[in-house]
Amino acid sequence: MKRIAITIATLLLSVAAYAVEIPVTYYRLPNGLKVVISESRVAPVATVAVYYGVGFRIEPKGRTGFAHLFEHMMFQGSANVKKVEHAKFIEAAGGQLNGSTRLDLTNYYETLPAESVETALWLEADRMRSLDVSEDNLKNQQNVVSEEVRDAVLNQPYALFEWLDLWQNANTNWYNAHNFYGDLSEISNAKLQDVRDFFRTYYAPNNAVLVVTGDVDVAATRAQIEKYFGDIPLQSVPERPDISEGAQEEEKRIKQTDPLASVPALAFGYHLPDQESADFAPMVLLNLVLQGDEGSRFYQRLVKEKAISIDWNGGINFELGNEFDYDGPMLLATRTLYKPGHNAADILKEVDAITKDVAEKGVTAKELADAKVRFRANWYDQLETSFGRANLLASFALFHDDPARINKVLEMYEGVTAAQLQAAAKKYLVAQNRTSIDRVPAEVAK
Amino acid sequence: MKRIIAALLLIATTSLHAEQKTPPPPAAPRVTEWPKITERKLDNGLTVVLVPLHNVPKVTALLTFMSGNGSVAQLAARVATEGTTTRTSRQLREALRAIGGSIGVTTDADATTFSSEALSEFAPRLFELLADSARHPAFPKSEVELAKTNLAQEIAEQRSSPDFLVDERMRKALFGAHPYSFVTAEPDAIAKLTREQLQAFAATRYVPNDAHLIVVGDIDVERSFAEVKKAFGDWAKVARVADAQPAFAKRDRRQIYFVDRPDSVQSTIRIAAIAPPRKSADYLPLRIASTILGGSFYSRLNRNIREAKGYSYSPYSLAQLQRRAGAVFVEAAVRNEVTGPTILELLYELDRMRVDAVTDEELTSAKRYSIGSTQVELETQAGLANRIATIYTNDLPHEFLETFRGNVEKITAADVRKVAAKYFDTYRGAIVIVGDWSKVKEQVEPFGDVTVLK
Repeated sequence: MKRIAITIATLLLSVAAYAVEIPVTYYRLPNGLKVVISESRVAPVATVAVYYGVGFRIEPKGRTGFAHLFEHMMFQGSANVKKVEHAKFIEAAGGQLNGSTRLDLTNYYETLPAESVETALWLEADRMRSLDVSEDNLKNQQNVVSEEVRDAVLNQPYALFEWLDLWQNANTNWYNAHNFYGDLSEISNAKLQDVRDFFRTYYAPNNAVLVVTGDVDVAATRAQIEKYFGDIPLQSVPERPDISEGAQEEEKRIKQTDPLASVPALAFGYHLPDQESADFAPMVLLNLVLQGDEGSRFYQRLVKEKAISIDWNGGINFELGNEFDYDGPMLLATRTLYKPGHNAADILKEVDAITKDVAEKGVTAKELADAKVRFRANWYDQLETSFGRANLLASFALFHDDPARINKVLEMYEGVTAAQLQAAAKKYLVAQNRTSIDRVPAEVAK
Repeated sequence: MKRIIAALLLIATTSLHAEQKTPPPPAAPRVTEWPKITERKLDNGLTVVLVPLHNVPKVTALLTFMSGNGSVAQLAARVATEGTTTRTSRQLREALRAIGGSIGVTTDADATTFSSEALSEFAPRLFELLADSARHPAFPKSEVELAKTNLAQEIAEQRSSPDFLVDERMRKALFGAHPYSFVTAEPDAIAKLTREQLQAFAATRYVPNDAHLIVVGDIDVERSFAEVKKAFGDWAKVARVADAQPAFAKRDRRQIYFVDRPDSVQSTIRIAAIAPPRKSADYLPLRIASTILGGSFYSRLNRNIREAKGYSYSPYSLAQLQRRAGAVFVEAAVRNEVTGPTILELLYELDRMRVDAVTDEELTSAKRYSIGSTQVELETQAGLANRIATIYTNDLPHEFLETFRGNVEKITAADVRKVAAKYFDTYRGAIVIVGDWSKVKEQVEPFGDVTVLK
């Protein structure tokens, strides 16, 4: 009994010694808008971010790419802000702005000198209240988004197959298995009415989180938020459709050819447990043991010892975010380029040997300790910028109604044991739970 | 009845927001307090710059050598962290993972930089590992051979990317025989490189003279300086090799290069001209000019080519100034059908900057945007470290950060037009297009003689 108490005390001490306490003020406006304010005095800047609880996962069927197209439309004007003026006002105030569409959220944010926060709040409130779009603007952004798809996907070697194609092949529920960037024909088929409907359906204050982080005064910011967002009417938001994914029953190996690539590549992914399950944190640490850096097991075996792979990258919510900013089925993914003369089976054989070893023998105490250190280092990287903090606070508020979770994460991960990692490896890192895509240059395939 | 209520609501809402037709004007800018920068010199010539930034419990350290670039520099950088005289590659990786750290080595036209970071509680260990990599790289034969094989594959992979191809061809076009034209080694040149060449390179270039170490993070200046001294203090000075500095070729006409990439569904277009060294007094006005032209969302290129015409997702411009010379360029990736019209718009916008004054609105906004961007860099250890590194690699005045805002605020529309006229000179610049020649040939040929590269 006493021994347990000492262990816990030591643990708390070791975490507390390095902990970064993030201040969190959290409340809801009467219209349902969740608000998080978190002040910090490191740099004279602040981030204003609005996260809406809709991403490309649940965009309308037959309208692939629509959630992203819609994100572009949010920059096309609102009642008091003309097209392009959002950027004009923010940049003239010294700020930077952007938006992004992800699996389960769409965000809009400005990082700017802290004295200009009110400008950003006014602009975000105006477009949350009153999107104002026209046929011309829609046509223009359909062209722009189509160019984005060409630029990011169709004109690139590998065409983002490590997530676009992997998700479509690993999953069976349409919501998880459609083309998230969108088919060009479906993007150009979108109608102005679709844009207006989507806005009315999902862009409600009660389906959003507003976060302000940085060098701000909490009381003054609160008053500004009340003034600009307080009277935006609440709307009824539909229940989320069933996005669940059934258990995979057998391994899937897919082959593709690539007209633009000159070096073969392999991507593979394992279905992950739910974020709220007890297996999740162990899987996050297992990912770091296996592919967290160049000292990890996959890199050392495949790139160095066997010299089959040329590089090795991977993770959770790979290329789309991190382990916290999504809410639904997820893959633990990998992408590796490999030397001509080898094949995908050579790599998967080594991967299976490594995961089998972890399942049978577990990870060493040193590997677990190092994975926790790596986790902490990565975690601090996310806390460094006002945007990084806003992203975590918004995700915890949006998906768990608990932004203060930001101060509990490190402690939770410190408590994970080697036995939990071993058990998780046995359960999830098995071939049956895996989908892989071998992407070979068309020239080589001939 | 219902209609009346709706109408009332509308009026009520309107009156509530009557005063909100325009956003609240930004408050007066605050004075930026730059973190205190402490500079010390070790006896061996190493400049040590220490900057506390207590945002997260981490530390970033950049060690930069003015090494120049080339095939040997590129391969040496790659193998430098693959083993020292006392640690294997794997031991080094494991030591780094135990401190939540990393060391990456990169080369650019002027320098080789060892970029490292770790949890700040392990800062002394990071300095030790960084010093070991830079001072005692062993270049083990097996690691050199593996790196050569992998680098050759990576180059093949890079050359399948339109962005890489356009950058590579443009540097060749602008800088010709000068070493600044180097982007990556040729695979056959890599095959011939030897371990001895790497050792000789490191022995004469990875030396403390003319090197600088910038440490930013959750540190105490005196304690960190003592730790740095312990890791780097007994490093012996070595006579520096003075690199030949050939003159840049005079450019007297526009050249057009087309890199044929069959099956491309876009043309990636870059138009560039030679710019002055980073130290030039023209730098700040040129930066403002580039911001107005295509360096922000509200820029001319974005408003015209993206928001009005819908030709491209992300047209932009950049003033990329290095120690001895630089380049200013505009770029857009566009669907094949609008290749010609986009070249026309890019040339038009470049010429417009040279001929017409920018508006007060554009100028005021670009200045505030530039000042705000440097404030945002203060948020991250790496952002601040890299900003400070440019001061040292380009031999800029030490008060660059403190005077930045005042110097930007002084810039006039006439200053902007003057540097635009001087440097956005595409008549002596180059146009590089990467795309499918068979599909866009007719659209490119009207702009002049085209050199097509397969």
